[in-house]
Amino acid sequence: MTTNLAPSMLERIKRIEVTPSIPAILMPLMKLLCAPSDGVEMDEVVRLVSYDNVIAAQCLRVANSPLFGLAVPPKSVSSAVISLGMRRVESILLTCCMGQAFPVKKWVLDPVVFWKHSLGCAMVSRKFSEMLPGTEPERAYMAGLLHDIGFLVNCLAFPGEFTKAMEIAQREQIPFDEAEIAAMGFTHCDSGAALAEQWKLFPDTVQVIAHHHDVEGAESEKALVALVHLSDLLCRVRGMGYGYYERRRVDMISDPAWEILFREHREMEGIDLARFTFELDDSIGEISELVSTVFGGSPVHA
Amino acid sequence: MSATTQGTSAPPSPFKAGEPIDPVYRQIRDIVYKVSGIYNTDEKLYLMVDGCAKRIKELKLKSAREYLDHLTAHPSRDGEMRHLLNELTIGETCLFRSMPQIDAIRKVILPEFAADKTKQSMKRLRIWSAGCSTGEEPYTLAMTMMEESEGVLKDWRVEIVATDLNDRSVETAKAGIYGDYSLRNTSDYYKRKYFVPADGKKLQVKPEVKKLITFNRLNLSEDAKMLFMKGMDLIFCCNVLIYFDGTSKAKVVDHFFGNLNFGGYFFLGTSESLLKLNDAFHLVHFPGTIAYWKPSLKSGKL
Repeated sequence: MTTNLAPSMLERIKRIEVTPSIPAILMPLMKLLCAPSDGVEMDEVVRLVSYDNVIAAQCLRVANSPLFGLAVPPKSVSSAVISLGMRRVESILLTCCMGQAFPVKKWVLDPVVFWKHSLGCAMVSRKFSEMLPGTEPERAYMAGLLHDIGFLVNCLAFPGEFTKAMEIAQREQIPFDEAEIAAMGFTHCDSGAALAEQWKLFPDTVQVIAHHHDVEGAESEKALVALVHLSDLLCRVRGMGYGYYERRRVDMISDPAWEILFREHREMEGIDLARFTFELDDSIGEISELVSTVFGGSPVHA
Repeated sequence: MSATTQGTSAPPSPFKAGEPIDPVYRQIRDIVYKVSGIYNTDEKLYLMVDGCAKRIKELKLKSAREYLDHLTAHPSRDGEMRHLLNELTIGETCLFRSMPQIDAIRKVILPEFAADKTKQSMKRLRIWSAGCSTGEEPYTLAMTMMEESEGVLKDWRVEIVATDLNDRSVETAKAGIYGDYSLRNTSDYYKRKYFVPADGKKLQVKPEVKKLITFNRLNLSEDAKMLFMKGMDLIFCCNVLIYFDGTSKAKVVDHFFGNLNFGGYFFLGTSESLLKLNDAFHLVHFPGTIAYWKPSLKSGKL
């Protein structure tokens, strides 16, 4: 796949400190969690996580937090899975892994705001996917979680330019990608796609990262790209955006992404978008708590 | 705004925060949504619990489960639903009730109207507060518009029509005298600028605010009168449609659609939706709120 980045920019991405510190278990974990829908091998997940003491400890710390209010605090990852359910443990694990990959001290963005948006988008993408037979909710979840990973690349590889983009976005209350174009000439989609290729993420995830602001430009997996695009929009208008007011009206049903999804999934017609929106509000509390537990308080990593 | 399910000061709740809610209340929430389009998020479920508690006591029932049976299987279920909806929406109105709606108007909609070439030649804005109760909503709108009179609405003529079925409410609205409870969301800035002291500790809306508003008694079911409400740019009808049954509700909504100018917006209460009552409206999102948009002719989306 081609990228809009100049070769010198690609060099800067390659040099950032992120790549060497991907937790070793991240890729196998993602593969396991995205396995076909006949059930995730729970034992396998637990075995994999036990290889990484830091992640396992963090997972337990979150599982023991007041957020989940468990009467019997889980003492192992497997008991956490039993008490909290695979889905919650999955969110916790992936959040911890991603937190380890990107050192918080170098962030220009507030990590709590960023992960709240990413987890929110993951959750909405999965819920959306569950309404559309034939799509894979877990892959949608993963794609939603990682769609904005380019922001982290920009934080680390282009901190000066990215800070400027953030200032423009906040001052003018415009979408972040427009501010990036104004300040940097490229967006988090371009830099995210470059990193995703280096990391050898799933091709569908790469498409989502590269094209979630330009669904029609996707070379494949258009339905998944469209689904994450709509989920991203919904999060941004329901209190899980980037921490500033975006002056815009979002008309999802007129969005080309809606039409693209509708072509493949006639069930879109039956979706009660208002109710879907209100239900999303129910999840904000838990997502915020989870992210604050992982990224707030004591530093997650040195 | 008279949206009543988004209270800022939580009334005493029969269950404590963090305590699990009886799943029966979620079932009741679903039924209420299907009938009325009003959705109580988990965070606001205490309103549902409080409302049901009052009805359970009144009907001398023993449990929420029994009340659910009463709501679904009893011969008087339709009447009971009306009682419950009354409990859920009663007397909670105040000025500046929904800031996301006001922000959407000031930050997105008014600049959009001001940039519209057709509107530029007329410089006229017509707003209808349908079911204005005791006037909190139209006065909020009037003050919001006055704040923009030196900004995007410079040299515009703003007319607000406020109607209610209840004569006494209309008279109270005309007087424009409010106590602490109605003014709990009103900032000192607005109190100083737009109010004068009235009897006791109350404040009265200044004549220049009142000048923008015409108060009238109107029954939304009277087709002949509804036909005279044409040419609106914004219509507000918060928690009023719950008083109509299916067919007459659809008719009222059709009237609202017909009365709006192309490109105009229809706002309901903050947790209220139109369900599937009118396909011609586009559900649109602004940060923190939804609205229904009558597509402009040039958008070709009608």
